[in-house]
Amino acid sequence: MSFFENLKMALSSLRAHKMRSILTMLGIVIGVGAVIIVVAIGQGGEAMLKTQITGPGNTIEMFYQPSDEEMRANPNILLQAPFKQEDIRALEQIPEVKRVVASSTQMSAARFQKKSIDVSSTGVNQAYLQLNELKVAKGRNLSTADFLGGRRVGLISSKLQEELFKGNNPVGKIITVANQPIEIVGVLEKPSGLLAFGSMEVYLPFQTWKIIYGSSDFTQVTLQAASAEQLQTAGKKAANLLNKMHNTEKSYQVINMEEMAQGIGQVTKIMTLIIGSIAGISLFVGGIGVMNIMLVSVTERTREIGIRMALGATRGQVLTQFLIESMTLTLIGGIIGIFLGWGASGIVSFFAGWPSLISWQVVVGGVLFSMIIGVIFGILPANKASKLDPIESLRYE
Amino acid sequence: MIQLESITRSFALGKEQINVLNDISLTIHEGEFVAIMGPSGSGKSTLMNIIGCLDKPSSGHYLLNGENVSDYSEKELASVRNRSIGFVFQQFHLLPRLTAVKNVELPMIYAGIAKAERQARAEEALAKMGLRDRMDHLPNALSGGQKQRVAIARAIVNKPKLILADEPTGALDTKTSMSIMEQFQELNREGVTIVVVTHEPEVAEYTNRTIMVRDGRIQSPSVADGR
Repeated sequence: MSFFENLKMALSSLRAHKMRSILTMLGIVIGVGAVIIVVAIGQGGEAMLKTQITGPGNTIEMFYQPSDEEMRANPNILLQAPFKQEDIRALEQIPEVKRVVASSTQMSAARFQKKSIDVSSTGVNQAYLQLNELKVAKGRNLSTADFLGGRRVGLISSKLQEELFKGNNPVGKIITVANQPIEIVGVLEKPSGLLAFGSMEVYLPFQTWKIIYGSSDFTQVTLQAASAEQLQTAGKKAANLLNKMHNTEKSYQVINMEEMAQGIGQVTKIMTLIIGSIAGISLFVGGIGVMNIMLVSVTERTREIGIRMALGATRGQVLTQFLIESMTLTLIGGIIGIFLGWGASGIVSFFAGWPSLISWQVVVGGVLFSMIIGVIFGILPANKASKLDPIESLRYE
Repeated sequence: MIQLESITRSFALGKEQINVLNDISLTIHEGEFVAIMGPSGSGKSTLMNIIGCLDKPSSGHYLLNGENVSDYSEKELASVRNRSIGFVFQQFHLLPRLTAVKNVELPMIYAGIAKAERQARAEEALAKMGLRDRMDHLPNALSGGQKQRVAIARAIVNKPKLILADEPTGALDTKTSMSIMEQFQELNREGVTIVVVTHEPEVAEYTNRTIMVRDGRIQSPSVADGR
């Protein structure tokens, strides 16, 4: 008997008890759906964390970790900005480096009228804007002219707007930062995402910042490479260059993102596995439900089994019939579960601001897995059916 | 056709062995129409099950069409039932969720016959039973006589040489019983060997030979070899 005969037969007997089939399927639907949700959100979270580390536009951060001798030679070395202007210019010459984003931050008091608040005041170079890290909600962004002319203009964070201006429109107002007047030209968007907290910030063109604080050094440097593949090369070259220029061994470093990404991947995989196995328990319970109903069905259809055997069905064919029936049940449940999980993880990611990823591997795996569940939990009932005595079964009322 | 040689069938009841069939030897030739009669508990159903390859004898030999089926495995017996024997039961034993034509197709499904041919042959068999306009009805929508005709159509559709009918008229009224028995007579005229198990003498009258079974033994004077 062909597979399709069996499938058609299975579908017709499932249809004969619609309500029961649907309720049994529900266990599998929920189980598969839960696993899909967990995996989708886990993979989405992993992808998000990875992009947060590597930065959205193939960026890599440089940092300065002085050696013990340097610390002994200059105990204040950590308080000083480690990147000089000539460093930036040299970094820009590296072919793999597309942009060098440099900034410098100091804590200062920002004052408007009589109110004074401590803010972190950051001077940024023009590349900062091109990386598009500063999104303006109100007013305008810093312009090329602001950078070249060293104009006394700045952007403030939305949190600072709330605190200093009580939510009134600050664009065009003059505040003082470190006792120097600055005209506010724009307010930044509220930060979104899981790890973002609102903080008090002022952003100034670096030229302006340099005049206010009397320092032309940068505290932070981020490199942007032309492509993701060139990122590691660019990072290594940049670190070597700076160590050579500063005559240090390995104080200038870049974060090894591959290792970081692997570490994060491992953490999220373990998390996904733990939560996924909890979701898997519900799938297991669903499988037991299928087994239960199939056992009931075998008992109810004892006479049918006897008739089929009398008409020439072998025990193997009866076994196959019931296995395919339970597999059909779990397969349909699994497919519905995949769609349900897909929809639900979409909804979750919409509200959590967290992407969800459903790869084709997960879909194929889900389909195969629900079929396997059907086979595993169908074996016992199908075996029971195939072991029935045809004479007894024909007499069964 | 059917050759039983000292068939015994015993069941274990606790520690006791109960011989339901006791040294039965019996020959039924091709083309015969035979009734097996006997009171309940006589062992006629067990005899029927052995002839129908649903059960195996505890000892003795059973030759069906010259094949020694008493040595066959369960799988081979299933195939023998499928190819060589058509069953008709008292309670019709149609699958309630399948239409008449689908019920008739069942033995052909297990014989591995392709769908188109199955359908054609099932319709032909039903037409022969006078059920041309009832093909797509579910068993529930058919009368008792019609159900039994569907069952007969199902029994003959794989063209077996032997039809076994277990109390085929037991659930039918007299008039319908008569027409069903006439149907069997007609099939017998076409060359099909038919064995009917019954306890009604009126039914046995339609047959050519009656075999009486009592206490697991054959009792009739015309015992071993008919004709």
